[in-house]
Amino acid sequence: MTTKRLSIQRYLPEQSKTPFWQEFEVPFDDSTSILEALNHIKEDMDGSLSYRWSCRMAICGSCGVMVNGEPKLGCKSFLREYPGTISIEPLAHFPVQKDLIIDMEIFLEHLAAVQPYLINDSQDSNQTHKQTPAQLAKYLTFSDCINCGLCYSACPQFGLNPEFLGPAALTLAHRYNLDSRDQGKAQRMVQLNREEGVWTCTFVGYCSEVCPKSVDPAAAVNQGKVESAKDLLINLFKR
Amino acid sequence: MAKHVGYFPELKRNWWLKNRYFTLYMVREATVLPLVFFIACLLAGLYSLLQGQQSFQGWLQFMQNPITIVINLLALVASLFHAATFFTLFPRVMPLRVGGKAIPAKWIILGQWFGVLLVMVLFAWVFGRGV
Amino acid sequence: MQHQDADIVIVGGGGAGLRAAIAAAEHARKEGIEQRILMLSKVYPMRSHTVAAEGGAAAVTSEEDTLEAHFEDTVAGSDWLAEQGVVDYFIRHAHRELVQLERWGCPWSRKPDGSIQVRRFGGMKTARTWFAADKTGFHILHTLFQTSLKYPEIERLDEYFVLDVATVGGEVAGVIALQVATGELIALRAKSVIIATGGAGRLFQFNTNAGIVTGDGMAMAFRHGVALRDMEFVQYHPTGLPGTGILITEACRGEGGLLLNKDGYRYLQDYGLGPETPLGEPKNKYMELGPRDKLSQAFWQEQKAGRTGKFADSDVVYLDLRHLGKAYLHERLPFICELAQAYINVDPVTEPIPIRPAVHYTMGGIETDAQCETSLKGLYAAGECASVGLHGANRLGSNSLSELLVFGRLAGEQASQRATATAYADIESLQQQVQDQEKQVARLREANGSETWVGLKREMVQAMEDGCGIYRDEQGMQRALDTIRELKSRYQDIKLSDRSRIYNTELLQCIELGFGLDIAEATCLAALGRRESRGAHQRLDEGLQERDDINFLQHSLVFFNVDAPAQLRWQDVDTRFSAPAVRAYGDAGKGA
Ligand SMILES: Cc1cc2nc3c(=O)[nH]c(=O)nc-3n(C[C@H](O)[C@H](O)[C@H](O)COP(=O)(O)OP(=O)(O)OC[C@H]3O[C@@H](n4cnc5c(N)ncnc54)[C@H](O)[C@@H]3O)c2cc1C
Ligand code: SF4
Ligand code: FES
Repeated sequence: MTTKRLSIQRYLPEQSKTPFWQEFEVPFDDSTSILEALNHIKEDMDGSLSYRWSCRMAICGSCGVMVNGEPKLGCKSFLREYPGTISIEPLAHFPVQKDLIIDMEIFLEHLAAVQPYLINDSQDSNQTHKQTPAQLAKYLTFSDCINCGLCYSACPQFGLNPEFLGPAALTLAHRYNLDSRDQGKAQRMVQLNREEGVWTCTFVGYCSEVCPKSVDPAAAVNQGKVESAKDLLINLFKR
Repeated sequence: MAKHVGYFPELKRNWWLKNRYFTLYMVREATVLPLVFFIACLLAGLYSLLQGQQSFQGWLQFMQNPITIVINLLALVASLFHAATFFTLFPRVMPLRVGGKAIPAKWIILGQWFGVLLVMVLFAWVFGRGV
Repeated sequence: MQHQDADIVIVGGGGAGLRAAIAAAEHARKEGIEQRILMLSKVYPMRSHTVAAEGGAAAVTSEEDTLEAHFEDTVAGSDWLAEQGVVDYFIRHAHRELVQLERWGCPWSRKPDGSIQVRRFGGMKTARTWFAADKTGFHILHTLFQTSLKYPEIERLDEYFVLDVATVGGEVAGVIALQVATGELIALRAKSVIIATGGAGRLFQFNTNAGIVTGDGMAMAFRHGVALRDMEFVQYHPTGLPGTGILITEACRGEGGLLLNKDGYRYLQDYGLGPETPLGEPKNKYMELGPRDKLSQAFWQEQKAGRTGKFADSDVVYLDLRHLGKAYLHERLPFICELAQAYINVDPVTEPIPIRPAVHYTMGGIETDAQCETSLKGLYAAGECASVGLHGANRLGSNSLSELLVFGRLAGEQASQRATATAYADIESLQQQVQDQEKQVARLREANGSETWVGLKREMVQAMEDGCGIYRDEQGMQRALDTIRELKSRYQDIKLSDRSRIYNTELLQCIELGFGLDIAEATCLAALGRRESRGAHQRLDEGLQERDDINFLQHSLVFFNVDAPAQLRWQDVDTRFSAPAVRAYGDAGKGA
């Protein structure tokens, strides 16, 4: 069986304050994913290697890592795609807790900040809303986000300022704003209009490039800018 | 219970050199520099025109200097590049729909280039006739 | 030792756990009382395995459909081992729950007029499965998670691994958990505890389940004397991808996909599911839309007869979707197209997908009454970890997502209700249990024996696959049971290579293995005891190949013993509405 060399950034906080690199030679075939390679290392070579995973089918969003400097889902990237030694690091722009495990708290805080739920007066009804396929199509791709955080590692603005709500949270806000059943836009715009809302984005666009679910967060954020501009203008005249 | 603080890799100043995508982004942002030069040229021309014949001649000479021409050509390329990036991004920021159907991004991009062409033709016609 | 109090503690942040949390919050608000609801999960809630469910959730919806029909399908699907009172409650409340999700923003697929679209599913008489493209579980889980953020009274402890339930005086008193980020233990005192930890598919080598589906909650309840019920019934899903086991949803067949053997022949017509239905006209309960157990069994027969193809090292049959066309596939089954492309490099638009059966669902679980309460007062269970009695010997696809909602809610309301009238247990007696746990964890972390968890795990999943597969016989099951018991004793001599505290994932996997071995033993024991063939439990032994209602119209119950082998008992089934009849599909089942 052919093998490939993986170079992994390790960080063992109970032993040392600084990370170090360690190399492993792993067997692989056409279908071996980065995640399977990590599992192989953990099970057969070094049981202390730590990383997150669960579904192994690109839907739970646990397994993001930097592969050769690019944010990737470990379970949806394959060894066959990379010639030479493959470098693996924890997702960029987040504090590292151990090995490939990052601290996700700030990401979750940003998600919660945009009130990502349907806001609607008629909560008590026991009827479904009508929503045509065209109305559904308006927001559907923006609802496909698996909260993997890859887009935050692709966003230099988030790297420079972690207070920036960031692509996934802003996309989620936009997803609800576009939903024909929702009436909460006014509340969410308060967050979007902030400096750390849509306006920190400079449309680098890399977030959409790395998104494993083709959510296109850059489009959502910049549509959010249009909305925010409109909102600010309207408020100006109201006053 | 609080987690331990962990290790926070800092963003280095040259972060944008590490990734092709970021470098391209910086180039896009940098297109503004030759454009500023071009606009400065225009303003200077306007100013010297108001100052009188001699001054304007000086400006014309400056404009014929090969370096100026190169920089201005650069500005042209830069603005076209900027337009190109802008045009490809536009359909994502302003997705257009007709009768419930999304217009394919390709069409919108083509439409914008068509607009550019139209403006150029218009200018050529107005000024070409005038002189 | 740290400790916190919460009226209600929920273990698990999947569909069932989240639904229970919201229901408890709503219940407390309605009663005008303040309750603290604490939800613990070993992964962030949106990583829970509910996220992977693809096909849909069932509820009677269309004008032509009836509650009786859904009842009959579920009971027949269960091979008459479902609790009929529970099924009755379920079919009456499923629709309300799916509507509720709609009101919370779930992006259900729609008809052109804006009303809800339903699709066909195996074993159901008619189309009644709600879906959100082929990411139904994903959308349900995210909708529930995001909605839960509206309730400040729901607090979460994400990445807390629950080790044990605490009891005082025969009643539940809370739980003991390990904070994964620090390795520290914490005691959580509660008036009610809900277990919603999902299934145990990872006991088997080849499965469709996520890595976290290790049956933890089942083992915790089991160790406290609560019975595990109907554990011998393990569902094989007929269509998993070779190699990984990644699921290719039944919705593919609901939309008209065909199953072919290596000769391109629709072999299901040879197994009592015919006659062949015309291309593009899938018919409920016929051919590809037969129930899962029958389809997986048919694969096994084809494999024996040498009519399966090969994909890498796996024997496979083929799921053909090509006639549906690119546009339709990309609209209805986008995730399937993505998965097939990424994991086996097959484009379903142009090629049939090679597939094989894989372990998918644990029908059995923690025994509860119809109100989701276990025999341990104050301990509730809901979702795949529970056996409330809905699925019997075989679960119908798309009944379980609805189950999470219907019984998650019921468990939440019941738990909240109990908490209004109960006091916290005495903290002193809790402390003792925490200290015991602390010692155990410390011992495990320092363990320096000669076995590795990896080695034991590999033997366990192999033994289960060999002994408790699609078809079983006495010898095979006995061998599996013997192996599991041997592994249990070898588990005492384990060695860890990671002794750290922070994110010691090896320690967690080791604890999960310990849970898994207990459940595996229960599964083998129940399987051996059931000397008949019913639903997902099919025996090859002479004379045991048919259903035996005289002796085995009974639930199996397995009880834990600390120092002795677990014990098997039997329990009557509630058949108050429908007497057992022949379970037939295809033309043979006409009129059923
Ligand atoms: C691939 C796949 C597709 C499916 N498709 C369908 C379908 O189309 N229709 C349908 O009806 N059903 C489907 N099912 C079945 C259905 O998805 C599951 O039965 C259901 O999602 C289980 O939900 P749950 O809430 O019980 O558990 P899960 O979603 O598995 O959640 C378990 C939770 O418990 C937590 N937990 C576990 N152990 C511990 C511990 N020790 N400490 C702390 N927390 C713990 C986990 O972190 C997690 O949050 C599918 C199943 C699979 C595998
Ligand atoms: S937008 Fe894409 S990259 Fe960002 S978190 Fe969501 S799925 Fe991941
Ligand atoms: S393991 Fe779930 S997304 Fe990779």
